[in-house]
Amino acid sequence: MALLFRFLQAAVVAEHTSNWAVLVSTSRFWFNYRHLANVLSLYRTVKRLGIPDSQIILMLPDDMACNPRNAFPGTVYSNADRAVDLYGDNIEVDYRGYEVTVENFIRLLTDRLDEDVPRSKRLGSDAGSNVLVYMTGHGGDQFLKFQDAEEIGAWDLADAFGQMWEKKRYHELLFMIDTCQANTMYTHFYSPNIVATGSSEIDQSSYSHHADNDVGVAVIDRWTYYVLEFLETQVTSVTSKLNLGDLFDSYDESKIHSQPGVRWDLFPGGEQEGRLRTVVDFFGNVQNVEVENANATEPGSLKEDLAEIARLVEKWQKRDEEYSAILGDSAGNVTEDLPSSSLHLKLKSTVGPTKMAEDSSWGKRLVGISVVGACTAIWVAGSILGRSSV
Amino acid sequence: MMTKTGDQESPASASQVDQPSVKRAPPPETPAAVQTRFRVIAAFWAVIIFLGFPIWWKTTSIYRASLPIEEMVDWADGKACRPVFPLEIHLATPSMQSFEAQHLLRTTQHTLDDLNEFAAHHLRLKLTNGSTTAHNSEDSSESVKYPAETADTALTVRLLPQDGLAGPWSELHAATTQLDIFYPPSQVPVPSSSNSPLSAFIAAELQRLYGEEKATIAHILSGNTAGLDSTSPQLAEDIDRRLRRSMKYAETYHLSFSLFTPGSEPSSWDIEAAVNEYVSPLLQALSPISNFTVDTQVQLYANFAPTAPKPEYDESEAAWTLKKEDLSAFVNAAEWPLNPSIGNGPTINFILYVPDPSQSPLLVNENRASSWMIPQWGGVFLLNPPLSNTEQGGRSNPAHLSQDSLGPAFMTFSHQLLTLLGTPSTPASLPLRLQTSIRIRAATLLLSASATMGSLARLTESLPSIPIPATVATSVSTTLSHLSASCVYLREGRFGAALASARVAETEAERSFFEKSMVGQVYFPDEHKVAVYLPLLGPIGVPLVVGLLKELKRIAGRRKAKGTAS
Repeated sequence: MALLFRFLQAAVVAEHTSNWAVLVSTSRFWFNYRHLANVLSLYRTVKRLGIPDSQIILMLPDDMACNPRNAFPGTVYSNADRAVDLYGDNIEVDYRGYEVTVENFIRLLTDRLDEDVPRSKRLGSDAGSNVLVYMTGHGGDQFLKFQDAEEIGAWDLADAFGQMWEKKRYHELLFMIDTCQANTMYTHFYSPNIVATGSSEIDQSSYSHHADNDVGVAVIDRWTYYVLEFLETQVTSVTSKLNLGDLFDSYDESKIHSQPGVRWDLFPGGEQEGRLRTVVDFFGNVQNVEVENANATEPGSLKEDLAEIARLVEKWQKRDEEYSAILGDSAGNVTEDLPSSSLHLKLKSTVGPTKMAEDSSWGKRLVGISVVGACTAIWVAGSILGRSSV
Repeated sequence: MMTKTGDQESPASASQVDQPSVKRAPPPETPAAVQTRFRVIAAFWAVIIFLGFPIWWKTTSIYRASLPIEEMVDWADGKACRPVFPLEIHLATPSMQSFEAQHLLRTTQHTLDDLNEFAAHHLRLKLTNGSTTAHNSEDSSESVKYPAETADTALTVRLLPQDGLAGPWSELHAATTQLDIFYPPSQVPVPSSSNSPLSAFIAAELQRLYGEEKATIAHILSGNTAGLDSTSPQLAEDIDRRLRRSMKYAETYHLSFSLFTPGSEPSSWDIEAAVNEYVSPLLQALSPISNFTVDTQVQLYANFAPTAPKPEYDESEAAWTLKKEDLSAFVNAAEWPLNPSIGNGPTINFILYVPDPSQSPLLVNENRASSWMIPQWGGVFLLNPPLSNTEQGGRSNPAHLSQDSLGPAFMTFSHQLLTLLGTPSTPASLPLRLQTSIRIRAATLLLSASATMGSLARLTESLPSIPIPATVATSVSTTLSHLSASCVYLREGRFGAALASARVAETEAERSFFEKSMVGQVYFPDEHKVAVYLPLLGPIGVPLVVGLLKELKRIAGRRKAKGTAS
């Protein structure tokens, strides 16, 4: 019995309660079409496997669908057969254009954002969340370029994940990166429960898979293409039992043209344990819907609760009645309330634009005129004096 | 200088040129020129040392306010505070002699202490006289909100003699915090005996009432229930499940009630009355724990996601049914305007779905239920209103949903809200469950704020490049003072006050950790620093240093000359 109990606990520990995905492309401009297509393909996959938009953070530095060079306006394709329009009509980009910066990315991960940043732009993961972080762009030895303007170093990324772990912002994290020399990006990670995988070793390029002649540029990167091929053909539903081991075994160096890497050592139990995590642990959404049994009678069940809430409601009604009885007449309460609410409404309707500036504009104009006047006087005096001296 | 070095390098050519005329040395510098050069060099160095260096130092140094690191780590390690939960239970014995009651109290307390295996959570019995009992129990909900100087009364046990009973039995008042125990008068313990069936019964009864709470608190404090032998695996699993599905604590929760329907009707509902009637009392009762805001919306023509499985018609039930495994795809998260970004608190969604007349009634296949809950997200209720016949011969939903027809749905939402907030399922009295939930929240917040302090301390130590503004130091000291206040309140048994302090501590701790300016961005390796400084310092630094050296050499030479001369 005790053994069974312990086993149950172990099973509980391994479970996660929500799924989050952070999908980042870091390059803009038309010839980097494939990087945005990479991210959008993955976006489509995680959405298909059930992660809702509210739990996907999508960072797109450029808008390929609306690019004037796009021969197929309003669409983005990741394959020359153009079977699936990745842009579709149901896409939520959380950070776009120049919002995609190193700073915003780190702020997103560590949640050090302004209070007025909406929840849709925040990573609301907690100690029970599995987080998928996918990045693609142009990179080099231990850095990844953001928009040709700045770069994120492997140290910064490691520190951001370290802070996430400190604040219990993930349960397990799968880091994927498709860029040149990608495997160098995860060398500095130090926080536990991370599985990291990249497309190419140090001093290796990461290549695009194929170009679409009508679009005019390459539409997808090799590594991402084969990862997606695995996800789309093998992981067909949320109930799929395929694990990370199967995904990483599907890497074929002769097809990818670079050596993909996997880092297991941060994961408790190492490679053996990590391989057993299912793919949908990270790419799918866990949602254990609980149907309430209307006929159950055990404590805490729907029926019991309903009875208790009904009693509570009754009690409050009684209290309200008593309260109004104390006030004198039961109608007094109501009449008192009504005018105040209508007054409130009236106030609301008359709210107009407010004046932002506190001080009068006339004062400022006066100061300006006097300054101009003084300057003119000095100039006139100077020119007169100068002439007289000559 | 140039000519001189040139001369040395090519002595042959120099000798040829020098043949007719003697080598012409430059005219000796006038003392005034030497003086000027000295001043120029001194001025450059003065600017560098007194202006440039301080500015460089000031602009490149990172402001790090000093934090009480040791204290923070102590809190995180649990050295600063050992949370205890002494529950005060009043024993009212209206029909007992005072010495009998005293004796009963002593023996019961003794039995309780023997039964207890988790020292941090213990029950303290106290005698009250019967007249104030009823009053106390009525007021218990207020005492939570307005913490008095005395400990909160967790429960009042009223002992009532009843003739013709074989053994004692108990009855828990569902609407108050009162437990009535009826006992045969013959079982009043005699002062000589050290044990009695009545006290054993009371102790067991109390133990049972607080079993779940104790297990939950043990689970929170230690991370698992392994420390308690008496906890059944079933209960442990329940607790674990509840902790997992309940929402993360927030200062404010937004409740969003939405009416979704695929057609044009119903287009209005008595939502204000329904919320006032069914939800407000619960929110009032929950107000010590969190704040709540309520939003409502009506969305017509809300369709399922194109990929979502369609409901199927079940002939035997004459109803449309949804499969349980398909329920997670029921909510069309992409198109239904849910999760509004209001403020910074999480939103709990409650969806009232009225199916299309052609698909009514709609039920869940497995157990004919009409509602389900999505952990950490909210709840869904399928409302099948009676259909009316239209003139065209079809059937349609009513245009307006009255308060009465919304009743079951909103009762269910209230229940789901309780569950989502992690209210324990036992004992069967809502006031007691809310009190338990206050204690559980206080424990959770105390631990989480302490853990945040520890994280911040470790972060400060491990990332030397991260700035720490003064506001963080202020927040940290506020957190620490409220944490210790909360710990003291817990020890005194004033759980309402403890929760209030713990809430402040949690908010401040979060604020300090998530301080906006604390972004240790862009780590520079040393070679990057050299690369940044060298192009600047090379061209400027070399002439400056060489000038300084030459000047020093000249001064040294003159001093030497003076020394030999004198």
